[in-house]
Amino acid sequence: MPIVEARGLTKVFRRADKGSGLAGSVKHLFARRYQDKVAVDHVDLSIEAGEAVAYVGPNGAGKSTTVKLLSGILVPTSGEVRIDGLHPQRDRMTVAHRIGVLFGQRTQLWWDLPVSESLAVLRDIYGVDHATYRKRLARFDEVLELGEILPVMGRKLSLGQRMRADLAAALVHGPRVVYLDEPTIGLDLAVKDRVREFFRGLRDEGTTVMLTSHDLADIEGFCRRLVIIDEGRIIFDGDLEAVKDRFARERILHVETTRPVPLETLRSSLPGAEVTLEETPLRYAVRFDRFAMTAGQAVTVLATLTDLADFRVDEPSIEDVIRRVYSGDLVLDDTGVPR
Amino acid sequence: MRTIRLYPRLLGAHFRSLLEYEADFLILAAATVLMQVVNIVFLSALFAKVPVINGWTFWSVVTMFGAVALAEGVGSLFFDGMWNLAWQINRGELDYYLVRPYPVVLQSSSAAIGINGLSNIVTGGLMIGAGLAHSAIDWTPWRVALGVLLLISSVVIKVSINLGTNAACFWLSSPSPMFAFAMHQVGDLARFPLSIYPIALKAVLGVVLPFAFISFFPIASLLETGTSRWVGLLTPVIAAYCAGLAAFIFRRGLRRYESAGN
Repeated sequence: MPIVEARGLTKVFRRADKGSGLAGSVKHLFARRYQDKVAVDHVDLSIEAGEAVAYVGPNGAGKSTTVKLLSGILVPTSGEVRIDGLHPQRDRMTVAHRIGVLFGQRTQLWWDLPVSESLAVLRDIYGVDHATYRKRLARFDEVLELGEILPVMGRKLSLGQRMRADLAAALVHGPRVVYLDEPTIGLDLAVKDRVREFFRGLRDEGTTVMLTSHDLADIEGFCRRLVIIDEGRIIFDGDLEAVKDRFARERILHVETTRPVPLETLRSSLPGAEVTLEETPLRYAVRFDRFAMTAGQAVTVLATLTDLADFRVDEPSIEDVIRRVYSGDLVLDDTGVPR
Repeated sequence: MRTIRLYPRLLGAHFRSLLEYEADFLILAAATVLMQVVNIVFLSALFAKVPVINGWTFWSVVTMFGAVALAEGVGSLFFDGMWNLAWQINRGELDYYLVRPYPVVLQSSSAAIGINGLSNIVTGGLMIGAGLAHSAIDWTPWRVALGVLLLISSVVIKVSINLGTNAACFWLSSPSPMFAFAMHQVGDLARFPLSIYPIALKAVLGVVLPFAFISFFPIASLLETGTSRWVGLLTPVIAAYCAGLAAFIFRRGLRRYESAGN
């Protein structure tokens, strides 16, 4: 049985259509007009225990709304959610023990308490016994280096410190399912790396993780499954590597030769690849399909024609693929096949 | 049980930070005491001219004022977070409340301590004590029990009205508790014997927003003053009704909660 399941999940927000300025607001008092905005549109999603899922999409695509629906914060307009088979509103208390939520944009720490006290209050809310709590805290400390920030007041934390403390806060009760909504937003690279390492640890312990992010570097090397949402609909749900194999199969081999070689010679000896000159002399770019030819084969062929001074292979990141999907350049159907 | 044990823990978490602002604390406490002193001065001036209002003497009205102060005091000392509900809704702060295994309404109400409540409770208690000491009733154990029950009910009604009117913010989508505050102001009318008001106002204070059950009716019953003594015996029933209704409004409101940042 999947640990998180959503069927036909839909959320419609009703927004007052006020027009502009004071005149609009006054008019609204007498003639109310509303506009419906469909934030999440018939989303079906099923996550197995232990899975790590990346949930990506452009701004306003409905990522956060989905997370709020899946954690029971919002009541869906239609459709339903089950967490561990439980109804998130009817069984709110039980569900609360099993899920952990982090909204990167918002803290759950008490602003007027030191971090250690915020965590202790959460420990008591969740009824975590002291021994377990100390053990968890020590483990968080290994990667997140909590020690230095425990005595700091919530309101005095820097963004990076706050995020580390919030991660601990979201996980203090050892939830089975964790939703991380933009958990690296605004962090500097060093902290990002540390936080990402922490996620990998979580995943390796068998926690189910759903990660929402703008920063695609967060998901590379972390999630095997990729779900892409756009305008409230899921436009792709499948294996991350498969997407890369399918859409990121192009490789670019950059070579530098010791003396000039005619472009025609290169092209005829590398059929199926596209060879172009780069800005600086003696430099060439060879584009090829990694399933038609390996980088090694290409290098070997080139080496028979001339002496190679240097070479390097560029591989497109998942970022490029997703960017192409966002921009409508690449249309995927449910199975991840371009239409 | 765990729910009740945890409440002081949540509330108490704010206590230490409260003491950080010692001056604030003292000014608020002094202001509340001063307010009650003003009330007493006003009452003594009033009753110097008119010794009895509709059967109510100075000391019985002081008892009523005391009951209001006590109810308001408990409301601010223990449940002041309710007044932040509009803000909490507007800022999406209920998001985290909703994913924690503790009643959302109690997380909201424990989000702040109104330290002025403490001086309200003390002065309210003193006023009730003085008022009762000057009354002619004989204290049977039954009457003591009734008094305690009525005062508890009165507090429950005040807190429930606070909750119900603040929960209106789920519909009003305003970032400030103006509606609840306006209703609270209306409640100030119930400091005086209800019998002096026209029928429409009586209906509002007795039925629609039963502020009269915070002080007038229960104190009338307890002191056997005025004409409608038996009504006050309904106070516990009204309290249960108010608490139920407020909880219902809050729950319905919570279903409308749309978080923030969409």
